[in-house]
Amino acid sequence: MSDQKNLFSSSRRQLLKGLGLVSIFPAISACAATGTSKASAGRVVVIGGGFGGATAAKYIKRGNPAIDVTLVEPNKTFYTCPFSNLVLAGERQLDSIGHNYDELQQVYGVKVVHALAQDIDPVAKRVSLSDGQSLQYDKLLLSPGIDMRWNAIEGYDEAAAELAPHAWKAGPQTLILRQQLEAMEDGDTFIMSVPGNPFRCPPGPYERASLVAHYLKQHKPRSKILILDGKDNFSKQGLFTAGWQAHYGDMIEWVSLSNDGRVVRVDAANKEVETEFGTRHKAAALNIIPPQKAGFIADRAGVTDQSGWVPVNPVTFESTQVKDIYVVGDATVAAPMPKSGFAANAQGKVAASAIVAAFAGITPLDPVWANTCYSLINPDYGISVADVYRVQDSQIIAVEGAGGLSAADASDNIRRSEAAYAVGWYNAISQDTWGTKL
Amino acid sequence: MIRSILPHKHTLHKLLLVTFFAGATSFVHAEEISSAQVKLIAGTCANCHGTDGKLAGAIPAIAGRPSTVLEAQLLAYKQGLQPNTTVMDRIAKGFSDAELSALADYFANINKD
Repeated sequence: MSDQKNLFSSSRRQLLKGLGLVSIFPAISACAATGTSKASAGRVVVIGGGFGGATAAKYIKRGNPAIDVTLVEPNKTFYTCPFSNLVLAGERQLDSIGHNYDELQQVYGVKVVHALAQDIDPVAKRVSLSDGQSLQYDKLLLSPGIDMRWNAIEGYDEAAAELAPHAWKAGPQTLILRQQLEAMEDGDTFIMSVPGNPFRCPPGPYERASLVAHYLKQHKPRSKILILDGKDNFSKQGLFTAGWQAHYGDMIEWVSLSNDGRVVRVDAANKEVETEFGTRHKAAALNIIPPQKAGFIADRAGVTDQSGWVPVNPVTFESTQVKDIYVVGDATVAAPMPKSGFAANAQGKVAASAIVAAFAGITPLDPVWANTCYSLINPDYGISVADVYRVQDSQIIAVEGAGGLSAADASDNIRRSEAAYAVGWYNAISQDTWGTKL
Repeated sequence: MIRSILPHKHTLHKLLLVTFFAGATSFVHAEEISSAQVKLIAGTCANCHGTDGKLAGAIPAIAGRPSTVLEAQLLAYKQGLQPNTTVMDRIAKGFSDAELSALADYFANINKD
């Protein structure tokens, strides 16, 4: 022990710093707990292996390989919500949107534990896992994604989601909805219930309607799509509406909140919904996207506020409520940044940089984020919204004069390019996040 | 914070003049942006161009391309001078000229493998 103490003495630290090597070591006891003799620059536990968590784990290692990083993710394969609408439309197989953790482990030296994080003790700095293990951390990064608010819509609970899937987490839910679409007869109705803001992937429901329409147009052209919405306007509305008109005529009907679009009750067994003013609608295929909140582990960590989401320091994405816990992705309050995979990846990099800086005792850098959300009206017709974000007066702002929507009067060539770039983007972000080569 | 990274118009003018006479485009690059900061900004490019800008596909790789080419392209996007652009015009407008220049240098110096 005394030797170790010597190793971490301030003069030694200064020497290492001067050599541009590892900058700061955590407390000795912390190091001993890892059970390895190799010096660690600090221990980070990352919970959640989606766009935010996997990116953060990789970029912490890129920033300083001496930081010990453990990623906790229950699934061995992560299925992305982006491009899951193509699976619904029969244009892709589920496998093509699945990603694993091989690169993180083999190339970057991230330890990956496939278990569910069940609880967090922010005082003892300990995470307990479903497999009985517990992990100590110096810094914790949560990328917990969303949980559904079960029963926020009467009758819509976990059991109901097996009959009327949300398909708002990709994987088995995507396949249930795909089967329902396949089972539809020509002339049947597909109903989608969409929540009010905020929720994961603001343009997602409307892309889903588009790609389901693309499928139905080919196979069941007399069918209808009814979108029952909990709000009066939506992301890229003008572009979607024009695209729907051009490609699908009146197949897609959108009912706004003011026109009694908000679903208040679901009878999943009969695929029936009731809206606020008592209108009943019956579907052959029923997709309920319920209201959402931060993934439950955020509650356990004590980082959520009354809204159910996580307020963060915009420069570092550290929780404003609990020290040394950083949170990225859909779970956070980061408006005007959307709850998107792109944004989660971008936030993961900023949080990673802030964590590396914190271990080194350096002031965090000025963050910059970009976001581009592509949506497909059909596989050859893409539209997008883009923005660049920075921090101004302690708030995240969209940089004025930058960003915006695809042009309303863009040519078919531009729409085709955007559809191709949507695929290019998917491949690139999959590579950047998980190392997947597609 | 935003204002501080964008050089005042007259400063920019002066820099451009100096650049013109010196014939060295890299002169403007140096101002105030640390290499760590450039690396962080470059992270925003990887979402579409792959880690370190190396992924070639529908969206081209940017690693290892000449700095002058990248910079000219980025400035053309920012100024709306590149026809048939889909999204890069909207994104480039979110960065100062100095940042775009530093990004061009950063990616030019990455070995594309």
